[in-house]
Amino acid sequence: MEPEIINYILQNKEKHYRLAYSYVKNKEDALDIVQDSIVKALKYQHNLKDIAYLNTWFYKIIINTAKTHLQKQKRYFTTDESLLEDYTPPIYDEYRHFELEQALSQLSYKEKTIILLRYFNQFELKEVADITDQNLSTVKSTLYRSLKKLKLLLEKD
Amino acid sequence: MKTNQNNNSYKEIEEQIVQYSEHIDIPEELDFIVKRAIKEGKAAPKQKHFNFNKWSKKVAAVASIAVASFVGMTNLSPTFAKSMSDVPILGALIKVISFTQFDYHKETSDATIETPIIEGLQDKTLEEVINNRYLEENKKLFEQFKAEVTDLESSGQSAHLGINSGFEIKTNNDQILSIGRYIVNTSASSSTTITYDTLDKQNEIIITLPSLFKDNSYIEVISENIKIQMLERIAADPTQHYWVEGAPNTDDDSFSIDNFECIDANQAFYISDAGKLIISFNKYDIAPGYMGIQEFEIPTEILQDILVSNYYIK
Repeated sequence: MEPEIINYILQNKEKHYRLAYSYVKNKEDALDIVQDSIVKALKYQHNLKDIAYLNTWFYKIIINTAKTHLQKQKRYFTTDESLLEDYTPPIYDEYRHFELEQALSQLSYKEKTIILLRYFNQFELKEVADITDQNLSTVKSTLYRSLKKLKLLLEKD
Repeated sequence: MKTNQNNNSYKEIEEQIVQYSEHIDIPEELDFIVKRAIKEGKAAPKQKHFNFNKWSKKVAAVASIAVASFVGMTNLSPTFAKSMSDVPILGALIKVISFTQFDYHKETSDATIETPIIEGLQDKTLEEVINNRYLEENKKLFEQFKAEVTDLESSGQSAHLGINSGFEIKTNNDQILSIGRYIVNTSASSSTTITYDTLDKQNEIIITLPSLFKDNSYIEVISENIKIQMLERIAADPTQHYWVEGAPNTDDDSFSIDNFECIDANQAFYISDAGKLIISFNKYDIAPGYMGIQEFEIPTEILQDILVSNYYIK
């Protein structure tokens, strides 16, 4: 099964990186998450019983690795404000993304994960439920609650 | 609750999120980091602690080759000749000499590989076997590094590559010499591995973990103690994280594929100056990467019943 896993990793590395980045919002930690996830996946590949679940299994590893990295970040940054000063004046397009990034950071880890998996990575709600080990109706209600939250946050300005 | 208007505005947010994801820049190093992680991951399950018996046979067989390549290395590194430096660590006859064998510095890549050389053993065969093994392993490490640099250069990327290997004397008293040899692999993120050798200086034998105990029950006794220590450390400092059953913050991810179960029969270990058994784990073995190398001191009380004697462990 190892060749399939490696092939999958190579083909999807950019998606994996972007998901990791959206959690930690810096390159170094995002690369660290990607690296940690790959090592873990290969090390524990015997836990993947069916290759059909490779994609959801791998995402499960990424989001959990991201979570432990976030716990580590908390140690160093008490507030995101310190990071904001480094931003150069944004052009419009980036400004919109910046706003969204800020809004996303207001969501809880759980809410954010569901949003990202659904729209970043285009997973079906059923798959999102599998990856996050929640039942479908919880995922649905969390998704709508999070979208509503995002909308309110983006409309505030 | 879901009016038409709401659905439309959600659609806008959805599109915005998709766009946002596409605007996250992919760094140059990603490709290299992914490839290196694959290499590391492939090697990970096979990463067993070194087995001395197996090695001594192999090394004895290639001893003459090793000597030959030693000479060859003079050409390999211009700094070879002047980099030998004495680091006497004790007045005792047995000492460890530091020897910077490979030094390689270029704009985006550098390697410093330092090899320990043990001197003063009565048993010259044992001394040679140990020293040849150190030399061979580091030579291999440097060859790998050079291959990676060539790889990276040919792909036209400019990521930073670094390797730093050396040794650390954990214990050196009249009875015990414990040497830890580490390899730090650095680029945008890093990995560290460490292996130990513990030598009984009086009897001139290498001490293995199983040799300390009456039977195999030590694996379970030590593993259970480490699990308790992990939970204690998490309780004392919530930023600490171990992959262990019962750890908090994992209640909603039920992601238990890599929980620590038990140590390897030949788990990396050393004996401290005070005669305590210290068990060591490499980065990623039992905790997320940011936790780095992890060490656990095992209380002698819990080992007392299964120890062969208190000769080494006190």
